[in-house]
Amino acid sequence: MAVEMTMPILVVDDYKTMIRIIRNLLKQIGFENVDEAADGQEAYEKMQENKYGLVISDWNMEPMTGYELLQKVRADESMKATPFIMVTAESKTENVVAAKRAGVNNYIVKPFNAGTLKSKMTAVLGDF
Amino acid sequence: MPAANVAAQVRTSLASLKASDLQDAQIMEVLKLAHQLTDTMKLFFSSLDQSICQEFNYIADYISRTRDEISALRPNDIKSERIPSAGVELEAVVGDTEKATETIMSAAEAVLCEDATDYDEYRANVEARMMTIIEACSFQDLAGQRVSKVVNSLRHVESRVSRFAEVMGVRDADGFETEEEKAEKARAEKNLLNGPAVGGPETSQDDIDAMFAEAGEDVSDLDQSSIDNLFD
Repeated sequence: MAVEMTMPILVVDDYKTMIRIIRNLLKQIGFENVDEAADGQEAYEKMQENKYGLVISDWNMEPMTGYELLQKVRADESMKATPFIMVTAESKTENVVAAKRAGVNNYIVKPFNAGTLKSKMTAVLGDF
Repeated sequence: MPAANVAAQVRTSLASLKASDLQDAQIMEVLKLAHQLTDTMKLFFSSLDQSICQEFNYIADYISRTRDEISALRPNDIKSERIPSAGVELEAVVGDTEKATETIMSAAEAVLCEDATDYDEYRANVEARMMTIIEACSFQDLAGQRVSKVVNSLRHVESRVSRFAEVMGVRDADGFETEEEKAEKARAEKNLLNGPAVGGPETSQDDIDAMFAEAGEDVSDLDQSSIDNLFD
């Protein structure tokens, strides 16, 4: 099934600049329906109210980390199928393994470029 | 009153009793024994006083040396000058980088939105934005200088604390973490908060991609061999 380019995407990061960078990259790729949250807790609350086609989340945030958000999302029947990409500077193998085991769909280490983001989104969502 | 003086006083009292011409032979015998006992005790307490005196002298020397070493550590300078100054410099670095990022991103976004219908106008506008970006990159020079100052302050503190620990023979003790520090440490361990690696990612994007490709659709169960490959 083709990816709907108007699908809402939730970007979660505690740095406004990073959200702005990802917004710009998504816009270049063709996705403009982007919502944002400053940490896992805010993201989880938004996910309870809205249905997103993709979550792109940082790992290290307060009070709720992206890792905790991933675990909550996968444990919640209403949102467990939402595709989830981790975009983070946490590059230890234990982090990648833990995220994979928690059910992340893909993992991008910072710094990254539009090509990497697009290829991981394609791997998760299919061609667009 | 020192123990030796007490013994001397008891001895004087006993001599006084003996001199008072007591008739009872048994009392005289008791006084004689008491006399012998005070002689013995006098020697014992004298040696005891000496060793306590030596102990106190050692402790006084140690306290004096510790005070000198703490002075050499210059804790007030570290607390009131070095650390606050480093904090101010780091805050300035954060501010400078934020400002530069804002300028660069705004310029880049403006270029992306530029109307390319008129080529000459488009080129002029893009070149002006590019110059703005180049100028904004000068933050790196200032940030580098500020960070160097912070690094120097840290080296200064490190050398003084190291010298103090070495001279005083200090060993690290457990149990001095505050509740807040303990909670933060536990949170970091639970959430695997390691932070960015120095010198680039510890696991490359290619290795992560290989791991995800190997696991395929089943994200719930990672193959041990693909994990092992990452550690090779």
